[in-house]
Amino acid sequence: MTEELRVSVDRRDGAAIMYTKGYINNVGGEEIANRAYELMDGGVRTLLLNLRETKIVNSIGISILIEIIEKMIDKGGKIAFCCLTPVIHKTFQIMGLANYAAIFTDEDAAVKELAI
Amino acid sequence: MTASPELQMELTLPMVPDIEIAAARAAGNLARELGMASESIDEMAHAMIEACINAREHSGSKDNRIYVKITGTSLGEGNSRIDIWITDHGRGFNVTEARSRRQQLGTVHKRGWGLQIIEAHMDEVSIETSEDGTTIHMVKYGKNDD
Repeated sequence: MTEELRVSVDRRDGAAIMYTKGYINNVGGEEIANRAYELMDGGVRTLLLNLRETKIVNSIGISILIEIIEKMIDKGGKIAFCCLTPVIHKTFQIMGLANYAAIFTDEDAAVKELAI
Repeated sequence: MTASPELQMELTLPMVPDIEIAAARAAGNLARELGMASESIDEMAHAMIEACINAREHSGSKDNRIYVKITGTSLGEGNSRIDIWITDHGRGFNVTEARSRRQQLGTVHKRGWGLQIIEAHMDEVSIETSEDGTTIHMVKYGKNDD
């Protein structure tokens, strides 16, 4: 049984919006990390993850997201999230991710606040 | 008087990647039969996923199986209750130590959050663990969808 995560990216000037579809587990988390690190290496310092089409996450996947946030902070950048289900939002808060990354209800609000 | 479970399901699952999704879907289907609200089902699914991952990743199970039992009960007046037991035949674990883990950025403590997530998403959680295995019993109460 597999629940493969799909990732797509909307690249903008110094920023990017990453869209995920599917289960963020260890494999999905690594896929997000690989794409995020490519973007960081390419100069992206503001990254918005739109999880509109992700309904399930697990703690291993979230731990990888935290590693991505750490690396972005080390580079002087920032990561934000939008379009979380209420349960994913709650899970992010439990694991402390919400303390280090902004969370927006929708993409429009995130884009406006992040100026991307 | 305690209501008798109306729905019951037992699964024996192999410890393979993403098997937790099968367990969560089974519980979700049973809860939907009772009419439980989708957000309660979603919380229950995330708790089940963590319980199954803990069994798969950390139990050191001898038989590489996860045993799942799910019961569903209508409580009347649009309320329902789901009981879930997740059992492995692994080596057990220290519950106090697992509960005390705290995550901080910049530390190695990013992993090991399963139990905290389970307890946050479920209404009741009890754990029986020994060197012969672990059973985690979780209860979710929910208002039914209109």
